[in-house]
Amino acid sequence: MIRTTDLTKKYDQLVALNNLNLSVDPGEIYCLLGANGAGKTTTINLLLGFISPSSGSASIGGMDVFENQKATKSLLAYIPENLMLYPSLTALENLDYFSGIAGRKLPKSRLELYLNEAGLQGEAFDQRISTFSKGMRQKVGIAIALAKEAKALLLDEPTSGLDPKASNEFGQLLQKLREKGVATLMATHDLFRAKEVATHIGIMNGGQLKQEFAANDISLSKLEQAYLETMDYKEELS
Amino acid sequence: MLKYNFKYELKLLLRSRWIQLLSLTLLLLFAFSAYNGKQKVEKRISVINDALLEEEESDVMMLALIDSVNQGLDVSVPRWTVPTSPTAIGNYYPRVASMEVQPLALIATGQSDLFTPYVKPRISGDDFALNFTEMTSPVQLLFGSFDLAFVIVFLLPLLIIAFSYNVLSAEKESGSLRLLASQPIGIQRWLLQKLALRFMWLSLLVVASLTIVFLLLGIEFLSEAGAFFSLLGLTLAYMLFWFALAFLINLWVGTSAKNAVSLLGLWVIFVLLVPSVLNQLGNSLYPIPSRTLMINEMRTKKTEVSKKQDEILDNYLRDHPEYAINDTTETRSFWHRYMASQKLVREELAPVVNTYESQLQRQQDLTKNMQWLSPALTIQESLNSLAGTSSADYDHYRKQVVAFAENWRDHLLPYLYNNQEITMDDIVELPAFQFQKRPVSMTATILPIILLSAGVFILGLIVARNLYKGQKLIHS
Repeated sequence: MIRTTDLTKKYDQLVALNNLNLSVDPGEIYCLLGANGAGKTTTINLLLGFISPSSGSASIGGMDVFENQKATKSLLAYIPENLMLYPSLTALENLDYFSGIAGRKLPKSRLELYLNEAGLQGEAFDQRISTFSKGMRQKVGIAIALAKEAKALLLDEPTSGLDPKASNEFGQLLQKLREKGVATLMATHDLFRAKEVATHIGIMNGGQLKQEFAANDISLSKLEQAYLETMDYKEELS
Repeated sequence: MLKYNFKYELKLLLRSRWIQLLSLTLLLLFAFSAYNGKQKVEKRISVINDALLEEEESDVMMLALIDSVNQGLDVSVPRWTVPTSPTAIGNYYPRVASMEVQPLALIATGQSDLFTPYVKPRISGDDFALNFTEMTSPVQLLFGSFDLAFVIVFLLPLLIIAFSYNVLSAEKESGSLRLLASQPIGIQRWLLQKLALRFMWLSLLVVASLTIVFLLLGIEFLSEAGAFFSLLGLTLAYMLFWFALAFLINLWVGTSAKNAVSLLGLWVIFVLLVPSVLNQLGNSLYPIPSRTLMINEMRTKKTEVSKKQDEILDNYLRDHPEYAINDTTETRSFWHRYMASQKLVREELAPVVNTYESQLQRQQDLTKNMQWLSPALTIQESLNSLAGTSSADYDHYRKQVVAFAENWRDHLLPYLYNNQEITMDDIVELPAFQFQKRPVSMTATILPIILLSAGVFILGLIVARNLYKGQKLIHS
């Protein structure tokens, strides 16, 4: 569903992403781990078509992202680190607006169903977003993805700044989406959450994908060791 | 997308109190400026009515005096003002030549602050040099009048700038643009829809506010539907131009602060700088000879000719044998000589007056030809025309007055030179001034402004296309 082939992005002399090859199939959650500047957000931006690649290609649902922007965007949903919705609109209104402009005209009952499925309490449906915590906003973001019936989900540090309970709830929501066959690519610093939710994990550094694992094949401690080795933090291990 | 933008844009504007704030601001500005305009118009009408009343009273006295003279009664007025004399009629019982106040005169003060609303051309007057100038407060000249045209031309663009400068940048700065851009929509199309909706709401507010204000002030605008719709058409076309600029700047510039500064810069250029530079350019390219010097020259000329009035009169009568039927040197009075010399003064001063007028005309032509550099100037001129207070309207009126003054003189001169007295029957034959309104069409103004706005919109789309190719629109 999500695929990159030799995807490269250069800014003058700086190589932000170097020959990235990855694939996320339906029902998979691929977590990209890496420090700041590793190339995770660049990958997401390229898949969203926000920036154009220097070379290589990226596709969603078999369609090239840069050639078929509208078609690929109708297949994907995106939740950034800080999901900014319209603060003076309610959760229901935000969901209605974003679904509507994406071409999904849904009755109120369906919208409520999606908000409910995303884990938002009923009394919050008609509250303005300005009163919401970050965790609640992320749930509205998931509801937008659900309402859009997205086949691919791109997440950029979605659990950053969430308390453990909210982060855990978010992980559970991702599992629900996985069960629905959504292909998820999540960029994160959170090794624990990655190990918990991912089916596949990739570690990036300096714009390159250094290591890849099947999440079931590696323990959390091994993952941490691999991450630190990749980040050249060997001295800390000793 | 349009349906959802339409539905939620209004909610967002209402909840952010923008609509309420705009409605109140527009109502206050329109009400205050229209009230000011109405006061000025009423003053002009009152001045004209007073003059007409004075003319009526004077006519009653004139008829009574003629009647008394006809009955052989003594009259208690100086001999030279007895209205059986053509020069007495020509000088002491003049007709009022007033510039009719247009139905929507309140929208623009225009030149009405500088010129008198009526004149009384006299047989001995220097009507060829008429310009009707009144003393005017220099502060008022500097800042202009707080009329509807001022609100529309100067303040409305500022409201539009405040209403539209950050439509895209606010989304970018709050972070919601990334979520929007991840949807299968074109950002430039989304922005165009948002601005089009804001234009529509603001247009509705402007139309509603103007209608409410006109109704509250009791202005008869429904009977002048054509003029009222022209006012709305001009205002909406001008608003469209500013929204087009906002669209371009939103796409081109970036941050809210830069957008605001850029749009305010354009406001300064289009509203203040271009009109001022054009005015200065006109003064430099076509300087008008000093009016004071012209008047001095006129006085010198009069002094010269007064010294040889007999010779001038003889020449004059030779040129006008029809006036010399009853002429004998015994019947020649001061007025015979004066009127003959006036003609000479007029002829000799014609080149000076013509230079003055032609330079003024060139200045006005320059501004007219270059007005498309600034829609503000175009709209101001058009609103003045709609109100009947533009330079062109006063020039049109001045020409009518000059023609009437000539007619007045020509009507009375045969009586003077034929030494013929004015009778009751002659009074009904006296010429009366009939003001003719200058025909104006606003289509010629509205259409180019709409085309100009469309050009700016297209430029915005080209800019967006290039930026989108370079991905700068979302990721900058």
